Amino acid sequence: MATDLITFFQESLGETQGVLDSKLSDFEGDATDYRLKRGLAHILKNNLGNFEVVSPLNPPMLRERVFALSVRSVPSRESTLITLNQVAQQLSQELNAEVLPFQVRDGLYADLSENKVFTSFDQPTPADLLHRYNLSQVQGVFYKASQLVLHAHRNVPGEYKLLFRYLKLFQLMAYIEGDADTGFTITIDGPTSLFQPSTRYGLAIAKLIPALLHVTKWSLVAILQTRDSYTNNWKTGRFTLNSECGLVSHYSPGKPYDSMLEASFADKWDALKSDWVLEREVDLIPIPGSVMIPDFRLVHPDGRIFLLEIVGYWRPEYLKKKFAQVRRANRDDLILAISERLNLEKAGVKLDDVPGMIVWFKDKLLPKAVLAVIDDR
Amino acid sequence: MGRIPILTFDRGTLILHPPPRGKDWLDLATWDDRIEKFRVPAIKYRSLIEVFQASGTEFLDQAKGFHSLELIPSLEMSPYPHQSEALAAWKLAQRQGVVVLPTAAGKTYLAQMAMQATPRTTLVVVPTLDLMHQWYAHLTAAFPQIEVGLLGGGSRDQTPILVATYDSAAIQAESLGNKYALLIFDECHHLPTDFNRVIAEYAIAPYRLGLSATPERTDGKHLDLEVLIGREVYRKRAEDLAGTALAEHEIVQIKVKLSLKESQRYNELIQTRNDFLQRSRISLGSLKGWQMFVQMSARSSDGRRAMLAHRQAKEIALGTEGKIRVLTNLLAQHYPDRILVFTADNATVYRISQELLIPAITHQTPVKERHEILTKFKQGEYTSLVASHVLNEGVDVPAASVAIILSGTGSVREYTQRLGRVLRKGNLGNKQAILYEVIAEDTSEEGTSARRTEGRKNLQVVYETGSSSGLKVAEQLEINYSNKNSNKTQNFNVTNGATQPSTERGGDHPQKTET
Repeated sequence: MATDLITFFQESLGETQGVLDSKLSDFEGDATDYRLKRGLAHILKNNLGNFEVVSPLNPPMLRERVFALSVRSVPSRESTLITLNQVAQQLSQELNAEVLPFQVRDGLYADLSENKVFTSFDQPTPADLLHRYNLSQVQGVFYKASQLVLHAHRNVPGEYKLLFRYLKLFQLMAYIEGDADTGFTITIDGPTSLFQPSTRYGLAIAKLIPALLHVTKWSLVAILQTRDSYTNNWKTGRFTLNSECGLVSHYSPGKPYDSMLEASFADKWDALKSDWVLEREVDLIPIPGSVMIPDFRLVHPDGRIFLLEIVGYWRPEYLKKKFAQVRRANRDDLILAISERLNLEKAGVKLDDVPGMIVWFKDKLLPKAVLAVIDDR
Repeated sequence: MGRIPILTFDRGTLILHPPPRGKDWLDLATWDDRIEKFRVPAIKYRSLIEVFQASGTEFLDQAKGFHSLELIPSLEMSPYPHQSEALAAWKLAQRQGVVVLPTAAGKTYLAQMAMQATPRTTLVVVPTLDLMHQWYAHLTAAFPQIEVGLLGGGSRDQTPILVATYDSAAIQAESLGNKYALLIFDECHHLPTDFNRVIAEYAIAPYRLGLSATPERTDGKHLDLEVLIGREVYRKRAEDLAGTALAEHEIVQIKVKLSLKESQRYNELIQTRNDFLQRSRISLGSLKGWQMFVQMSARSSDGRRAMLAHRQAKEIALGTEGKIRVLTNLLAQHYPDRILVFTADNATVYRISQELLIPAITHQTPVKERHEILTKFKQGEYTSLVASHVLNEGVDVPAASVAIILSGTGSVREYTQRLGRVLRKGNLGNKQAILYEVIAEDTSEEGTSARRTEGRKNLQVVYETGSSSGLKVAEQLEINYSNKNSNKTQNFNVTNGATQPSTERGGDHPQKTET
């Protein structure tokens, strides 16, 4: 069916949206799978197709001229013909080209959406189309969501960072519990959800799903609020989904490393012979109203664990925020690796009350320097 | 002595930190684990401040983003008594409440009076782009020293006086919430929907005014207005004000027969639908029956065919040729008076516009062009206008003396709103406005119209036959029948030339005289 529809759209190039719509409704026919057909067609039409106004004469100009003339006579079908003829004659003279009355009539509303012409098409593969369809069906469920409870375990920081970046973009809030070994429970909703469950954040939650699909291991429960159409009361429902769901995201994935600095540090660690294992499955450090996602986690067979955050980015606002976060996190198992090139003073950052340990580095962060700080403890 | 509590605004809520002493404020606040602070719904701002003031609690208000304005009006009229009374009632209710006035009773000026009495930053929320421009024009004329802005229809201003659509204001509710002291909700029955109510809920505005001709909603949600705005403080009906602020008006109902071909097809389609309904034991009389029908139609080919038949039948009734013919006659009869034509669907709007070359306005019309068309209509450059639902509410078209409803839905509100269009007091003094309602006979539209006109006195019914030529129909229109009840089944069909005497000439309803 997807292939049929894509071919159908390909062959309909050059037709108006109105014609396309009526052909689509014929295509739907009286079969009961019309909803599926309609959904696929919707994606092809609205997300991948382009519709444009095609008329040799500018429609608003035509309307202005036609209506200015038509007001002079009593409206009737006869006077319509006369007016169209007059306008066509005027235009023919002005433009020095023959304009026919039917062109005036057809051009009058060529800019209406149903009269717009289907001019180009980003042809998807049938598989792409179905992926997009399946995802939007699932997203539709979340429109009714008042809250999302996410369980995530063993994911790399880049994936979390992408998720929380979208979370922030869509103005959502999160409450985080748990640790790296047992996994995290992340409860997602919005500021006013505190007072009563609200589907206001459903759209934002739905938009978060494609970002979540880039996270490797998770499962979720969404609390849904639907209005019972018989009694008009609110009903609460549940919807579950996990990383094995097979849905495919159309958002671009995040980067595994934020910077070359991190990537080269990880490489060097691998080359090092140490009992300490460098993990990317990190702890999320909840801070009231926000979250901190360190770059690495250092695990020793004897059970000791440290978190490592590399501070290499120079922008003063970033530095201020980063150190405010570190202070609020108040973790003594956190190692901060700070570049000596950063002008912390200029950014207004003071280091006297920063919790945890600090490693200074010049161009490259060496694993040895980090191990030295740990051994000093 | 602890630190002074600070109140801040966060996306439709208030954060109170550190917590003040005492307990009385706790009723309004909720502990938020996510930020480890107390949070208060924005709409509780006024109550919270009042609690603090009563207990003498010291606090720092960083939430308040509104401020006072110096509002010097350059546009002043002597208010109608109902406007002064409404303002006094609203002030007495501590500037929180709903005023119910009919469509043409000068609600915009009442709002201006309320703003002058409460000179602070103000957000006006309106349902349509037309209304938005209308309020904008009025407020810029009234307060030329203050910057007035728009939110919606492509504009995203941030001004001390802002006119916004419900849609845009709801989308931006989180950021608008603390910037305005006074909220004015025009056609406030739009507010209590799940989507729109956040405009009131996420706002700290201590002063709120709701305006509407018909606050009642079929879903009963108008009761929520009391929480979102305030209680109803004043109400006057069109009948109470007739002759003072409003023009007199009259309603004429015209019944159109389907053509033979149309009525055959209509009956076939209805038969197809009814056969299915009977087989499936569904009765369409109730909402539940209708929901069953919708569900069944998605499950079997039979059901789907029945649903398609139902839709096609409805389309025939809506767009019957006879209606277009009656319309042509009415247009001829009232030419060159200012005439507004309303239809239920856009397709009919454009069909009429293209066939009779009448300017059209729908939701698809660009804002600028819509403004131009309306201006030309007001100035008399255009004498007629065809529109779908977009002109429903409060658009100021003072010069229209005739309105024609070609087909409509049966909600009470729509009817009153549409009436308001022709009821507006123009410069022409007390003109007799006429509202025609053209409906297809022997179809479901009759029921719709009956529901709508229930209890109206100034109504008469005219029948038109499908077979007559244009001229004769026009003649027949001069013979009018008064009828107490529009939904009476008694038949007053007029056949060519031969007229039957009207049975009931009710003493107290106006007789129609054509000129």
